[in-house]
Parts: sequence; structure tokens; C-alpha cells
Amino acid sequence: MTNCRSHNPLKPFPATIIKVIDETPDVKTFQMVFDNPEVMENFKQKPGQVAQISVFGVGEATISITSSPTRKGLLEFSVKKVGMLTSALHRLEPGCKVGIRGPYGNHFPYEKMKGKDLLFIGGGIGLAPLRALIDFVLAEENRKDYGNIEIIYGARSVDDLCFKYDILERWPQMPGTKVYTTIDRAEQGWEGHVGFVPAYLEEINPTPKNKYAITCGPPIMIKFVLQALEKMGFSDDQVITTLEMKMKCGIGKCGRCNIGSKYVCLDGPVFYLSQLKQLPPEF
Amino acid sequence: MNAYIITRDNLRTWIDALIRDYTLVAPVREEEKVSLFKPVGSFTEIDLNYTNSTISPKGWLFPQTEEMFFFFTSDNQVNLEDACKPGTTILFGLRPCDVKGIIALDPVFNGTYQDCYYQMRRQNTILVCLCCTRVERHCFCNSMGGGPTNGEGADLLLTEMENGYGIEVLTSRGEELVNKYHQLFAVDGDNRVSKTRDEMGKKLASQFSRKVDISGIKEFLDQHFELPYWNELAQRCLGCGICTFICPTCHCFDIFDQSPDGESGVRSRCWDSCMFSHFTRMAGGHNPRPTKKERIRNRFLHKLKYHRDRYNLDGCVGCGRCINKCPVNIDIRQIIADLQEVARYDQLPLS
Repeated sequence: MTNCRSHNPLKPFPATIIKVIDETPDVKTFQMVFDNPEVMENFKQKPGQVAQISVFGVGEATISITSSPTRKGLLEFSVKKVGMLTSALHRLEPGCKVGIRGPYGNHFPYEKMKGKDLLFIGGGIGLAPLRALIDFVLAEENRKDYGNIEIIYGARSVDDLCFKYDILERWPQMPGTKVYTTIDRAEQGWEGHVGFVPAYLEEINPTPKNKYAITCGPPIMIKFVLQALEKMGFSDDQVITTLEMKMKCGIGKCGRCNIGSKYVCLDGPVFYLSQLKQLPPEF
Repeated sequence: MNAYIITRDNLRTWIDALIRDYTLVAPVREEEKVSLFKPVGSFTEIDLNYTNSTISPKGWLFPQTEEMFFFFTSDNQVNLEDACKPGTTILFGLRPCDVKGIIALDPVFNGTYQDCYYQMRRQNTILVCLCCTRVERHCFCNSMGGGPTNGEGADLLLTEMENGYGIEVLTSRGEELVNKYHQLFAVDGDNRVSKTRDEMGKKLASQFSRKVDISGIKEFLDQHFELPYWNELAQRCLGCGICTFICPTCHCFDIFDQSPDGESGVRSRCWDSCMFSHFTRMAGGHNPRPTKKERIRNRFLHKLKYHRDRYNLDGCVGCGRCINKCPVNIDIRQIIADLQEVARYDQLPLS
């Protein structure tokens, strides 16, 4: 329970952008550090959680934390330039001041996933929340707790692939890890797979045995990925996704991210497919 | 708890003393058919004969626009400063439905994440409830578990009597407010106050123009999200949002920054409405509630089901403001009655 005397949850903590990585023409990854080392130390996120990023004078937006909690001392947020706040954020450079509050929401069930194989299916910027869990399970101290890791990732074009270093170089070299990358349409210079993510998934045809599938991407991709997984025999309790909703407060007060009586900011953003099926189709 | 009686003259003295010692917010008649809760400077400004304020008094705990904090940025630093803290306020002359509205808002702004702005005001606010003496045609508090003489949740409960007012003390905070000015009050030794209040309650119970049956509605809505009925309702709704603006339990808000120079400014929040199309529209364009059908359904499900699911409290207190002010006469009492009918029809065996 937060105590108003010690901290007001709607008031962000000042932070500084220390590095900006251009991922795609419209996605940048921001490395941020709280100005107060104590706040940095006490900020204990779990993979899948989100935070509210402030650009003072412009406002706030809910962004998933894309760095793994095993990476100490900084937070990473990968942000696609789509609206007012994200456009303002894209104009910022290392050294600029921002605000961060959180972490908010539930997280991927990484405890339950122990001993299981993991299948990640991401599309576009949808890889950002999955990356926190991928790097968490691949971290040296956790790797032994999890089985094989498969990552299927796609984007519209080579230019639109996020985290190129991770998907093309770092992750494929990790033990027990396979990365399948695809782009929507053929392109000169690309020798990898061409085609949509759901079709590629069916082609790879992973077995559901002892496995969790975790997916995030554009709604249309998620829809067909869920259908494909069902066809392959994945049960609704083996499939996990993370939802995006418009949020303002992040703490279950402002009333806009509800799906039925659940608030995505408190009860989500991570849902099992079985939970999702219990909710009204309003997301 | 104790009960007291105060004469009309002494009530005036008491209120003037409260105005001197606290911030007193009370119903003020602004113009014909418009009464609002406002801070008052003297007893004569107050209109205790009002039936229901035009806008609910929730704004004294959750202001329509509220400054949250100020920010000052420079190249190497950003400083945040809290907006000023409120002093003790007395919300005087609240109707029972509006007290119930505050009780419905309390758990929203409480919980794992405390809303400091609401909490600070709430802890510094004393609620003085005033029993109704009339029932308006749109009132239906008695259908929603309340009643025109039910002051549950208040600190003090006032009942108009022949030569003054009866005061029932409901909390220790209320007791303090009486004790501090004890010379103005006479102890009610023979339960005259509660007797008068009971009689008034009985008299008013028969005056409601409509009684609706809320039983089973939530359970029906638990099972039925998609209903053609919401389409019908959406065709009438203009999406103007007045229902959410005047509602004592609506709590949706927006957060926004204002900064004239881009370096320093203020972050505030203001009431927002789930009836507006941009409310849930994401930056990328996707909108989970894209049409009036989804939005009106969300509002009524919030009142009749979601609030109950989350807090085990009704999201509607039966104040009737939305019925009174809706430009196309959407009436939540009729919606409840219609849903009862839809539920009955749903249960009929197929012939």
C-alpha cells in the first residue's frame, strides 16, 4: 500500500535519458535512469509491467518496460512515434529530463513458466514487452530454470524490424534459443523468410508439449496467431498475451482502460487466453 | 450515538461560527432551478430548502479541474512541487443520495494506490447530511438501497423539525463539531429527532413517482454483454456527456499539462467522460469503444455491474440528475425496467 505521506503515486520521479537507439524509422529505444539513485534502486519491475513516461509540458503515456529486471541500473522503453507524447519523446536526446512512475500492472507468469519451453511470437513494436521476458529467461542467473526458447518475429520490412541486434545477432547465439525472423514482403538484400507471422508460425509448426506461447503485436496479427496456436493444439492456459489500452492514471482510477470490470492497468496487461475469453470483446 | 435539537436562531449562529472557523460549503440557489454547492460567507447565502443540487457536490472532493503539481525544468534539473493542500472543509446540507455518492467514490480513490488528492480532501472534509423534505419526480434513491432520510456515511444528520433542526451524531468527528459549540444545542432526551425522521421517511416513501426493481439486474448483465437493446439506446443518445458531468459517482478523469514556455508549468486533471469518442481512442487510432453503442453500454454496465464487481457497491445512488438533465430523456429507471423485461423474455422457454 502506498502512503500519501511518503509518496503520491500520480507524481512521477525525475529521470534522465542516457541513450537513444534508433530501431526503425519510427521506433526509438530510450535508456533512462532515475535522477535519485535510491529511486532507481527501489524500482523493482517484473517482466511485462508498464510505466508512465512524462515529457513535462506535453503529458504522459503508458509504455511497456522493454528491459529485463535482471539488467540493473537503467530502464529501457521502446517507443513508436504515433501520437503527441511519443512524438515529443522522439525529439528528446541524451541528457534530456523526463519523469517516470510505476511499475504498473501484472506481469508474465515467469514463476509458472519454470521448467517449460517458451515460444515467443511478436510483430512490429509488439516485441517490446516480450523482450523484457526473453532477456529475463536468457539471463545467466535464470537460464537453467527454463527450457528451449523459440522466438518468431516479423515486421513489415527489414527497416521496420525492431531490436535488430537482438534478433539477428545476440539471441540466436544464446544456448537453446532459436530465432525465426520474417518480413511481410520480399526485399532486395533480405535472404531470410518472407511472409506474415501467423503463416510462418504454421510453417514452423511448434509442438505445444510442455510449452507456453507468449504473443504480442498488432491486433490483426494476434487474432490469426491465436487461431493458429489453437489449431496446433495449444490450450487456452498455454497462451499468453499482453494488451494495449489507452491509459491515463495507470492506477485504476481514471476509468478508461476497463474491459468489463477489469482494469488493464491493474488486472492486466498480461492475460492468459483463457482469461481473455471470459472478458467482453471490448479491446 | 447522541442526538440534539437546535433552534432556527441557534442554527444561524452555529453556521456563522462554522463559517468563521472552517471553510463551509453549502447549497446556494444561483438562479431559478439552479442550485450549487459553494463556499459561503454567511448564513443568508445558504438555501436549505433545495431538493437536489444541479451538479453533484463530488467536486469538493474530486474537483472538476484540479492542479496536481507544478514542474520546473532546466537543462540539468527537473523539480516538482505539490499544489497547495486544502484545509478542513464542512460539506453542509448534503442530501442522503449525495452522501451515498461519496461513499461509492471512496473505494475508487483508495486501495493499493491511494489517490492522495482525493484522500487529502476526504480526510479534511466533514459531511453534514440534511434529510429530504420533498421527493422530486426523478428521485429514486429508495430503489437503490438508500432513502430520503437515510444519512448513512455522513458525520452528522440533520432533520428539519417544527421549531428547528434535529441533529443526530453519526461519527466522533461529527460529535466534535457539536461539542465545540455545545451551548447552542439541547440534548434530545426523548428520541424526538429519530421519531420525526422516521415519520418523514414514511411520508416521503409514498411520494416516489416510480420504484424500480434492481434485483437480478447485475446477475443478468453478468451473463449478457451483447444485447440488441444497447443499439436502441445508442440511437437516442447524443453522446453529450451531461449524465457523467452531473453524476455523483462518475469518476473518470483526464490528466494534462499546461506550460506557457515549455519549461515550467502545471500538471492537472479534469473530469472526463466515457461517453466521448476520444476517451478510449489510442494514439495509433484503435478504439475499443468506437461507437455510441459501446459507450452507452459501458456507462450503464459501470453503474449496474462493474462498480459492484469491483467494490461491492452500487454505482448509482438514485439521485435522478441524469434523468432530469438528459436532452433525449434517457432514464436509467426505464433502462432497469427494460432490462428486467429483457431478462424475463430471455428466460421464457422457446416455443
